[in-house]
Amino acid sequence: MAKQAELKYITPAGVEVPPPPHLNKAKSQYTVFHFINGFVFILVCLIILVPIWKVLIDSLDLTSGYGMKLLPTKFGLDGYVSIFTNKSLLQPLWVSIYTTVAGTFIGLLLSTMGAYVLIQWDMPGRTLFANLLLFTMIFSGGMIPSYLVMRAVHLTDNPLGPILLPAINVYNLVLMRNFFEGIPKSLFESADLDGCTPMGMFWRIALPLSKAALASIGLMFAVAYWNDYTNFKLYITNRDLYNFQMKLRDMMQSSDLPEAVGGATENTIRNACIITAILPFMILYPFLQKYFVKGINIGAVKE
Amino acid sequence: MASSTSNGTIRVGKKPLGQRMKKYWGFYLMFIPVLIFVAVFHYAPMFGIRYAFYSWKIVGDPQWVGLANFEKLFKQSQFSTSFWNTIVFSVVKLVLNTGMAVIISLLLNEMISIKFKKLSQTIIYLPHFMSWVVTASVFSLLLAPSANGLINQVLIKLHIIDEGIYYLADKGHWRTWYYIINLWRETGWQTIIFMATLTGIDPGIYEAASIDGAGRWQKMWYVTFPALGNTIITVLILNLAKIMNLFESVFVLQNDSVRRATNVLQTYVYYQTFNAGASADYGYTTAVGLFRSLVGLALMLICNWASKKVRGRGIV
Repeated sequence: MAKQAELKYITPAGVEVPPPPHLNKAKSQYTVFHFINGFVFILVCLIILVPIWKVLIDSLDLTSGYGMKLLPTKFGLDGYVSIFTNKSLLQPLWVSIYTTVAGTFIGLLLSTMGAYVLIQWDMPGRTLFANLLLFTMIFSGGMIPSYLVMRAVHLTDNPLGPILLPAINVYNLVLMRNFFEGIPKSLFESADLDGCTPMGMFWRIALPLSKAALASIGLMFAVAYWNDYTNFKLYITNRDLYNFQMKLRDMMQSSDLPEAVGGATENTIRNACIITAILPFMILYPFLQKYFVKGINIGAVKE
Repeated sequence: MASSTSNGTIRVGKKPLGQRMKKYWGFYLMFIPVLIFVAVFHYAPMFGIRYAFYSWKIVGDPQWVGLANFEKLFKQSQFSTSFWNTIVFSVVKLVLNTGMAVIISLLLNEMISIKFKKLSQTIIYLPHFMSWVVTASVFSLLLAPSANGLINQVLIKLHIIDEGIYYLADKGHWRTWYYIINLWRETGWQTIIFMATLTGIDPGIYEAASIDGAGRWQKMWYVTFPALGNTIITVLILNLAKIMNLFESVFVLQNDSVRRATNVLQTYVYYQTFNAGASADYGYTTAVGLFRSLVGLALMLICNWASKKVRGRGIV
């Protein structure tokens, strides 16, 4: 077949230019660069996934000496059976669940109520309130004074400590305020004329219109609570009140492991615990990813 | 008190303060829980700063020592190591993570297949949602010097090393792996903000550049990269302001053999207070904490000023 005559694109000034992108055939868009680029991303994804994959398959492998295997040789669920039949592991799991649920609820309540007050532009004292909150972002008493206060109000060795302390999150509150600012003022004004109370407007207008933001910020709280280690480490010494992260850390550092069931080895249980700690989010993540990403962009949209 | 202005709009003067406050009583009520939480968890600890001028072993009464804690602090080599570690770890980490995130974003932006792009994004965001404890656990297993450690085994097979190295127990290797682990965990998440900027670039600019004869690399260098410039500076400023907060990521990756060499200020405070038994001086560690907070405050103010210069608004 004869070589196709190439079209030439010449500007009025007589300079030859490459054809505009929309006139290129779709296939010719793929160049060597794109193949290399694709290859780079396969590599990047593998680097991210292999560590997680390795832990997952080791948690399902009942032989010792995992080495370089990337598939289990002796498949079995005994590692997980050991976790879910052992009280010393179920208790921390339960603590993680209830602190996450309670904390997320209280955190959302405080963030939305605080944010709702901060959008009342004519309210006397609004600026003072906003500055009171913002100042905590730039200065803090520090670890030891915080510990002493927590001890003084009996929130150490008390599950309420790690529930209540992270519930006031100024960053999330500001994100929520940014979102509320997007709600048309006229909605509030007409509700006010109809005799709606501030609390009524909060429940009937502000919250129902903010479902996406509530989901994003709620998820941010939930992840923070589920993953919380620092607050437990600082304020909880009673082992019965450990959450799953604390228990996992303990198990990684010592050989004081719960009794293994069946063919599970020490390392099988360790690996199974890591997977259990990330399982809830691994399952939900593909469905909720958009809300996570949105959370970051609520702040960015304002710029 | 209404007065009409020349262009026909009506300006309403402010009512007396008492009346306005009465109008908003419901809102004040709603703000009370927030105020209580902020008072207890943020402002009450600020009054505890006075212990920085006392010596206090938690039992008995605090003894006034004036500035002695600060004199002691500047003489301790452990303190200066921790201080410089805080700065170095944070800054190196920030530069590496941001640089890598920019590169990954630029490459992601060039991807043609939407499905593959979405899949890549989903995967690279993933590690951000794993707690630091989980991250540390995963890597301590991967880096184990025994026959179970994947990384050592691979390196031995490739004849790069002869026998397993306990990477996390050697201070030189520890730093390298600290940065690698941070890259692994945070690069993907940081690309979100850069991708948002990249998708906001007007495609018309690219077309114009093409017509002017710019190739792929020229477009990347002259159009995409400058567009990212402002975002990069913003990200750097925002993160620079928080570098003194470094704690959990270091804390969970430390072990006894590298602790002294890898302490940052927060971990130093923690160990001096909670792992020192009866000799723990809460006054001294409060002083270290106060020093940290003040440096943090100074950084915040500098970054706020820089942010106002660069993008016209502050960071808080």
